Amino acid sequence: MNLVTRHFAAAALTLCACAALGRATEARERMVLIPAGSYAPILRGKDELERVPVAAFWLDAQPVTNAEFLAFVRAEPKWQRSRVSPLFADSGYLGDWSGDLEPGPHAPADSPVVCVSWFAARAFAKWAGKRLPTTAEWERAAAGGFTSADGASEPGFPEAVLGWFARPTPAVLPAAGSGRPNFFGARDLLDLVWEWVDDFNTAMVTGESRGDTGLDRTLFCGAGAAGARDLTNYPAFMRAGLRSSLRANYAVPNLGFRCVQSP
Amino acid sequence: MKTKFALVLIALGSAAFLRAAEPAKPACCAAGSTPAKETVKKSCCAEEQSTAPLSTRSLYQLEATWTNDAGQPVQLAVLRGRPVVLAMFFANCEYACPIIVDDMKRLGASLPKDVLEKAQFVLVSFDTARDTPAALKAYRERMNLGDAWTLLCGDAANVQELAMLLGVKFKQDARGQFSHSNLITVLNSEGEIAHQRAGLMGDVSEAAKAVVLAAK
Repeated sequence: MNLVTRHFAAAALTLCACAALGRATEARERMVLIPAGSYAPILRGKDELERVPVAAFWLDAQPVTNAEFLAFVRAEPKWQRSRVSPLFADSGYLGDWSGDLEPGPHAPADSPVVCVSWFAARAFAKWAGKRLPTTAEWERAAAGGFTSADGASEPGFPEAVLGWFARPTPAVLPAAGSGRPNFFGARDLLDLVWEWVDDFNTAMVTGESRGDTGLDRTLFCGAGAAGARDLTNYPAFMRAGLRSSLRANYAVPNLGFRCVQSP
Repeated sequence: MKTKFALVLIALGSAAFLRAAEPAKPACCAAGSTPAKETVKKSCCAEEQSTAPLSTRSLYQLEATWTNDAGQPVQLAVLRGRPVVLAMFFANCEYACPIIVDDMKRLGASLPKDVLEKAQFVLVSFDTARDTPAALKAYRERMNLGDAWTLLCGDAANVQELAMLLGVKFKQDARGQFSHSNLITVLNSEGEIAHQRAGLMGDVSEAAKAVVLAAK
């Protein structure tokens, strides 16, 4: 077999090998490596570690956009707005889009996709050859400041993050990737939209925790913040509160997602 | 719960806007729903199984295959046609799960005889590592669970999917034990969630009413 033929054969093999793998490899270019480290949960149960080890992983540098999600629903029609099962997405699903295959003026191509359920986000990730980040992975990446791995102790960084909470969400979201990159090169983690995590249902800091969970009642009964690691980390409380309030079929107007891959 | 979170947001003076999504309205189009598949050779309810398309809200659309305590593959759809009382649990649970099982037994005992004869009681384990079919079989014996009880284990993705659909929260701690919602779910004969009861002990009469309705 001459060299040209061999190259051709290799190319053909690559083409038909696995579409998802192809998409994933292509996408890897827009991912950043988050080195192995640890995550310190803001709220911790009595048998939980103070720092949870997190292995290295690749993280999408920015949230998934409407254009990317459109490619997904074209490829997997059961995730189109008019076809999705109500088990997997509530009636707000892609509510800001103009139609099944038309994001329209309220959902520009480069803006982060929102109004997507956990099931839909997870299906997108699988289609893309990726997965959703765990809480530990997401928080590990978001703990980075602008110039150091520990944003909490970086002068000016916590204030910049709090700034997002002070700004109302605009009617049309700005483009993904327009925020300042953090220490790891990831953008928009803390200043564009909330993001789904794969295991959001591990967040049990709810009003019902006294009644419907197996948690130590003394830990959460009216003392939700008493065991908190860092009382000044308001955004982390907000995220914990949001996660504990979600159900997997909710589609929320400023909740999007991004994906990860293990190396 | 969403309302509660929205209130918290407002109370905290946050300007970050979060509109709680409206509850889903029933849809007419059953995309991707397929007729129930029989996977258990000796099914409890073969004679009652409908072949009509499942509703879009039916948990029996799920394609997940579980393993019961006899080591047989089971899809939840084999339960179609019967009222089902279902909870997620793990066999090594030292506190809540035995109470959940006891609550389910009390619920069963409070049912009229004809409804009880139809009802199925299902326990699905969180513990993908320890709850093997043999461990579940031992649990069945230890807890003295009769023929109307189905004990299932499955892989982590299936456990996560079912927990998400039921709204069950769970988290494994460093000792390998699970913190989890204490939730009993009643499914109607089509596998739709008819009632959910959170908490331990206490009154089971509302859940029992839902089972009676589901049996009709």
